[in-house]
Amino acid sequence: MTTEGIRLGQPGISLPVGTPTGEVDEVDLVPVQTYWQLVRRRFLQNRLAVIAFVLMIVLVVASIAFPILGGNLWFTTSLTHGPTDPVSLAAPLGYDNDGINIFFRLMRGLQTSLSIGFFAVLIIAGIGTAVGSVAGYAGGRIDNLLMRLVDIVLSLPGLFLVLMFVAFLGSGSALVIIFAIGLTGWTTAARLVRAEFLRLRESDFVQAAKALGASDSRIVIRHMIPSALAPVVVASTLGIADAVVTEAALSFLGLGLLPPEASLGNMLTHAQDYFYRQPLWIYYPGIMLILVVLAASFLGDGLRDALDPRQRIEA
Amino acid sequence: MQTTAVNTIAPAPTPARAANPDELLDIEGLKTYFATANGLVKAVDGVSLQIRQARTLGVVGESGSGKSITALSVMRLIERPGRIVAGQVRFAGQDILKLKDDDMREIRGNQISMIFQEPMTSLNPVFTCGDQIAEAVLRHRGGSKKAAMLRAVDMLSQVGIPDPKRRAKQYPHELSGGMRQRVMIAMALSTNPELLIADEPTTALDVTIQAQILELMKALREQNRMAIMLITHDLGVVAEMSDDVTVMYAGKVVEATDALTLFDTPHNPYTKGLLASIPRLGEHRERLEVIKGVVPNPLNLPSGCLFKRRCPYAMPICDVAPPLRQIGENHVSRCWLTPDGGKPEIGEAPLKAEAEASSASLTVEAR
Amino acid sequence: MGKGTGRQLASYTIRRLIQAIPIVIGISVISFAIVYLTPGNFVDKFRTGRVSEATIQNLIHVYGLDQPLPVQFWKWFTNFWTFPVNNLAWGFSFTDGQPVRDLIFARIPATLLLMGTSLLVTIVLAIPIGIMQAVKQYSWADKIITTLETIGYAMPTFWLGLILKQLFSVQLKLFPLYGMQTLGKHGDIPDILAHLVLPVTTLAVIQVAGWSRYMRASMLEVMRQDFIRTARSKGLASSQVIRKHALRNALIPIVTLLGLTIPSLLSGAAITETVFSWPGLGYLGVTSVIERDYPVVLAVVMIGGVMVILGNLLADIAYAVVDPRIHY
Repeated sequence: MTTEGIRLGQPGISLPVGTPTGEVDEVDLVPVQTYWQLVRRRFLQNRLAVIAFVLMIVLVVASIAFPILGGNLWFTTSLTHGPTDPVSLAAPLGYDNDGINIFFRLMRGLQTSLSIGFFAVLIIAGIGTAVGSVAGYAGGRIDNLLMRLVDIVLSLPGLFLVLMFVAFLGSGSALVIIFAIGLTGWTTAARLVRAEFLRLRESDFVQAAKALGASDSRIVIRHMIPSALAPVVVASTLGIADAVVTEAALSFLGLGLLPPEASLGNMLTHAQDYFYRQPLWIYYPGIMLILVVLAASFLGDGLRDALDPRQRIEA
Repeated sequence: MQTTAVNTIAPAPTPARAANPDELLDIEGLKTYFATANGLVKAVDGVSLQIRQARTLGVVGESGSGKSITALSVMRLIERPGRIVAGQVRFAGQDILKLKDDDMREIRGNQISMIFQEPMTSLNPVFTCGDQIAEAVLRHRGGSKKAAMLRAVDMLSQVGIPDPKRRAKQYPHELSGGMRQRVMIAMALSTNPELLIADEPTTALDVTIQAQILELMKALREQNRMAIMLITHDLGVVAEMSDDVTVMYAGKVVEATDALTLFDTPHNPYTKGLLASIPRLGEHRERLEVIKGVVPNPLNLPSGCLFKRRCPYAMPICDVAPPLRQIGENHVSRCWLTPDGGKPEIGEAPLKAEAEASSASLTVEAR
Repeated sequence: MGKGTGRQLASYTIRRLIQAIPIVIGISVISFAIVYLTPGNFVDKFRTGRVSEATIQNLIHVYGLDQPLPVQFWKWFTNFWTFPVNNLAWGFSFTDGQPVRDLIFARIPATLLLMGTSLLVTIVLAIPIGIMQAVKQYSWADKIITTLETIGYAMPTFWLGLILKQLFSVQLKLFPLYGMQTLGKHGDIPDILAHLVLPVTTLAVIQVAGWSRYMRASMLEVMRQDFIRTARSKGLASSQVIRKHALRNALIPIVTLLGLTIPSLLSGAAITETVFSWPGLGYLGVTSVIERDYPVVLAVVMIGGVMVILGNLLADIAYAVVDPRIHY
């Protein structure tokens, strides 16, 4: 008989049917994650983004620390040192023709380039957010007008605009370079913010704030700009790469910072004069530029992927 | 003897049972797993089901129950990171999981065709409808392009598309959703398949269009004498179309029987829940019953019965995974309840070891 | 109704051209403003003490610099568009006194040659590479190429140009350092080709990096679509699915990329041309900015802007033609 069937438990004792048990078990205790926890998790899962983040920190720290440690070394010429000196711990990249310690000059150049990139991007984010939020919130004719302005600026050859700004307003000034890059580069940020605003304007929480009688400026500043900030942060991070390269291009064309100031661009220009005798010199600032661009691009991509809530992990 | 009647469970038929000559498709112990970044998802975990010649099997379950993955496994259209890890899929007697890719392609779209849930996105937007049907004909029947195109137009008229010649020259976006699903059906049937797999064919459509498409499928089924594997979450569609029904939950079969039995005397609490959630015409209920809770996270399945946390009948024994048991002629269910739906006579707190021993001897899964 | 007829296409094109007019006026105003609102004007360079004040005032009057800015703009703008018949439409160059139009027209063949060749190389390389990567996603080849693309994309153009120059001209002496022709070898085709190699490589490396990434992404996006599964469910071989169903869809966005690249055919790649002293429009533009040759700068910027607008228009039209879903 037991080969035919199986006895279950002890006969006679039974549980009332209909008592759900185990309603709360370990499965339900998976913690609910907030948006920012999810963002952090998604970011940390992206190996390239984490590497880029670490690289960016290393670059920033190096660009601050070494110029402080080195003091005047980045522009101190010396008659006793020259390109023929063997490399040493004090001068890992040797000395240039004026006896300047190339490593410290490179770090100072990195500092200048990163600062120009940072401040230019600040202007880009500022103008982009202002134009984008006004266009996206106001809509209608104002939106149309501002977007045509964006179209116009986007149609103009960007590099020439920057060149004209710098050439006509005074080359060699970091401030002019920052403004030139900032004033010509805000269009993408503006478009992103506008798109986000158009989406947010119809969203429940903005409608709710409106229903509660919040003023326009309050809604924009308290509710919408914080939400629209994610695309701005992403665009700005990516924009640093562009700004740093533009500065270098300006220097290369002879419109950037002039020695004794140091920037990655003017070091490159300087290295070009020693094309034949010192072929390596051109690589130092070039590789620095590539590292900055790579770090900024992957960091920006990683942030975008992490911040985009539409990319919820699907089971 | 009376106690045994209540407490014993008939053993499942042996897996090596003689193949029924009437059987067109016989899936046995199919396991399709997905290796995701977050862990292994056992989307289909030991599914067995059969479809007889010219009969329609409804495969029912909520989304995430593994019914679509079962269908895609039969077509061998599982993509990375998914993989069929075990089981057999015998089609007309041969295990198609063992076929070489080239041989499988001869069957795919020819003897077994499939239509998909989303008619809006399932057609290639840059080719005309006629082209896309003719492509299937050319692939499996050969012949001239012109002949294939004539066949396409003929198929379009068979699926009830007015002015088929003109429609054949149109692009998918120029047709409505219902029309596109008709095109999909025309494409699938253009090679006279023996088995049609329809994955939620009406879900994306309006109710009136749904009825039309079902009528069309019924008519074509009679005309072509083909079997259908109808995947749906809608028991109404099943009632309309199916001879047999298999209910799936979290990658496993939880109940399988013929359609009449299922609707008359459902056994599994999950099936009962699904049936209770169908609104009936002329019936006044305060509120529609729904199955509480959600399908468990496939990455973190509960131990024991996968349905226990949503089940109104849940008992301590449910901490042990129930096997699929024979509860009547041609009727299996994955539940500890007795065949007549009563509570099993078991201990207040069954010793886990004892219960596990019980289930261990029940490892043979019934059909 | 189906796809638009030729007439519909024509009316769409005209509609888009009319919409572009305000943008053209916009870029004219901005370019003009930047040039004319900069502190000082070009006459200042004559204020060296050797030119009398009366002469300078006369020059200012002759060039119309004493008129109100809107008047100056209007004169310049209306005159600008007479260029097909008027070789003085864009004024005279300050540096060598030649008509700007002739100066620019003389540069166009060189730019067309450089940009056309690099675009051709880009398309021929990038599209197959991108497809291959998408089909073999996660393979070693895909990973290695993706890495190379990333580095290629991150390299500043002028730096890459300098490196290529240093390696292949200075050290290996394989190709000439700069220019388009060796002096005294005018019209010698092998000589021009030799000059072409390095600038084309510079542009191609960076463009291929971008385009193949784009192609890969586009292809991957298409291969995720439901209709690819439908195609496979018909029993088509994967090669057929890729060649016919996936590729046709994946190429649609590439058309846009092409439209956005076309403008550079005429306005040139300023940086690359400058690195290699390639006598094209971009190089002319850069040198003119540095020398403050305003009429030339204005013309170059205007050409660049108009080309971008036309490129966008072309991209939209091409998109509408190749994608049956888009109505115009």
